[in-house]
Amino acid sequence: MSNEIDFDELLSKYKSDPFDYVDVFAVHTGRVSFKVVEGEEVNAASGEWLQVPGTRLYEINRERNPKIIAAQTNGTVAKIYTEFDGQFVEAGEKLMTIKHPLKKKEIIENILKEVLLLFPAPETAKYFFAMDIQSRIEKKGARAVTIEPGEEILTMSLMKRDTPVYYQGQRGVIHSIYFKQGISVARGEPLLGICAPEKLTLIQKIITRVKADWDTDH
Amino acid sequence: MVEKAPFLSCKCIDNMAENRPTPEEIFNLLQRAKSRERSLFVSPVDTEAAMRYGAFVGSVIESHSTLPRAMDHARHLINKTVQAGSSVASGTVILADTMTRSKGRFARAWHAPAGGIWGCLIHANTLLPQSRRFISLATGLSCCEAVREIGLEKALLRWVNDVLFEGRKLAGFLVESFTEPVHGEEFTLVGFGINANNGLFPAELNASSISLGQILAREIDLCTFTALFLSRLAWNFGLLYHEEAKELRGEGFSGRGGQHLLLERWLACSDTVGKRVVYGFDVMTAPQYRADVLGIDADGGLILRLAGGHEKTEYSGEIRYLEPPLLPLP
Repeated sequence: MSNEIDFDELLSKYKSDPFDYVDVFAVHTGRVSFKVVEGEEVNAASGEWLQVPGTRLYEINRERNPKIIAAQTNGTVAKIYTEFDGQFVEAGEKLMTIKHPLKKKEIIENILKEVLLLFPAPETAKYFFAMDIQSRIEKKGARAVTIEPGEEILTMSLMKRDTPVYYQGQRGVIHSIYFKQGISVARGEPLLGICAPEKLTLIQKIITRVKADWDTDH
Repeated sequence: MVEKAPFLSCKCIDNMAENRPTPEEIFNLLQRAKSRERSLFVSPVDTEAAMRYGAFVGSVIESHSTLPRAMDHARHLINKTVQAGSSVASGTVILADTMTRSKGRFARAWHAPAGGIWGCLIHANTLLPQSRRFISLATGLSCCEAVREIGLEKALLRWVNDVLFEGRKLAGFLVESFTEPVHGEEFTLVGFGINANNGLFPAELNASSISLGQILAREIDLCTFTALFLSRLAWNFGLLYHEEAKELRGEGFSGRGGQHLLLERWLACSDTVGKRVVYGFDVMTAPQYRADVLGIDADGGLILRLAGGHEKTEYSGEIRYLEPPLLPLP
């Protein structure tokens, strides 16, 4: 994590292009059939429990088992690889890119993700804090809780099988919590953003600067 | 042909312990299960393989009159054994007549007085992740099958693995992973609590709990029922390995239409599909939403239809039935 952050460069980058470009890949091998066209607006899953599926992006059919893949993010279809329409593709083939407009909060999170140590989800599952960590957070707030390498910080829950998750990384405070209890987190997505205690001031500076320099919420 | 039992060991840590089934009893019951399966007109199971795969369960049994917590004892035993340069036997079962500091999931209290069947199975994790997700289902199924085998045919499974009798809870299970600190070997600890002869429950659980003794209006033999439950657990763990091996050979699963056999048998013992439920990750303290259960997917996930008609599949969390069913969800 660097102390040297060129705020002007970072902010101008986001001001000139306040979008994320989210690539969409084939989830497994199969024959692909697109359900959207370039320029079309798409929506992520919504509803209190994310029960309303996102816009249908493509169908992939493997051994007569068709599966619809829906959008995980809001935005516009910026690029679609139409040459794959109706074709058999390998797992992981890039199929389209969605241009997602960033909000102020997301820009702050994006910048912070560049400077925080991100602790990713080991499996697609639901997560909750280990009891000791939860009680420390309740007493003092997350940003006053320091975690050590090897410490049990979370419990991963999948089919009522609870697996302790141990922190691997350098000692730090829990700055950002990216999961909600009861909501599933995909494998590899960040669960926590950890910050060395002496870097907290720098992090606060980033947040203040973005908030001050960004005019609107959108 | 008389089969030889594999290495079996019974450690009665405390001579005062009441619940002291022997590995031989479990092995004999497992053989009986194999013969029964084999006698089916068309069994999709390679019974020899399933028995061989599952016979490790209960091959070592420790019986205690009391323990603070069986899961903690299991972790301590694994650590102590590995630090002594050895490895704990997979399939070791720890039993305690009473437990003084038992707990359920999250921070829930678990009442474990004399008369119940309380304990933990240590399983060295040699299953692939896609099979591991069925361990919770296998555990509940084993108990439900054992309860039915003593004549209580109305015992049913509620997703994921609660065993109910006429809507009241007979048994609950806790499945946790544990990685030992020396070599990093991963174990699955299967905690079980079965209301057998205990009939007094804390006031808050009185209306929702029941014991085998209460249903039968007589005491059951703890050792006999524990051995029966553990033999079913051995058989169902054997099925997990059996199905995994078949899938890896490219033969698909053994159930109807290529369904995982354990899932097929779980469904045959469950009334969850079709129920109106309240769902929550921790449903007791934080219920999240109401839904109708449409089915169980190939991975054991609960397929739900929420208000508005949207479908969602949950792979963790828990449910409570809403009785009687209300009008269709808007």
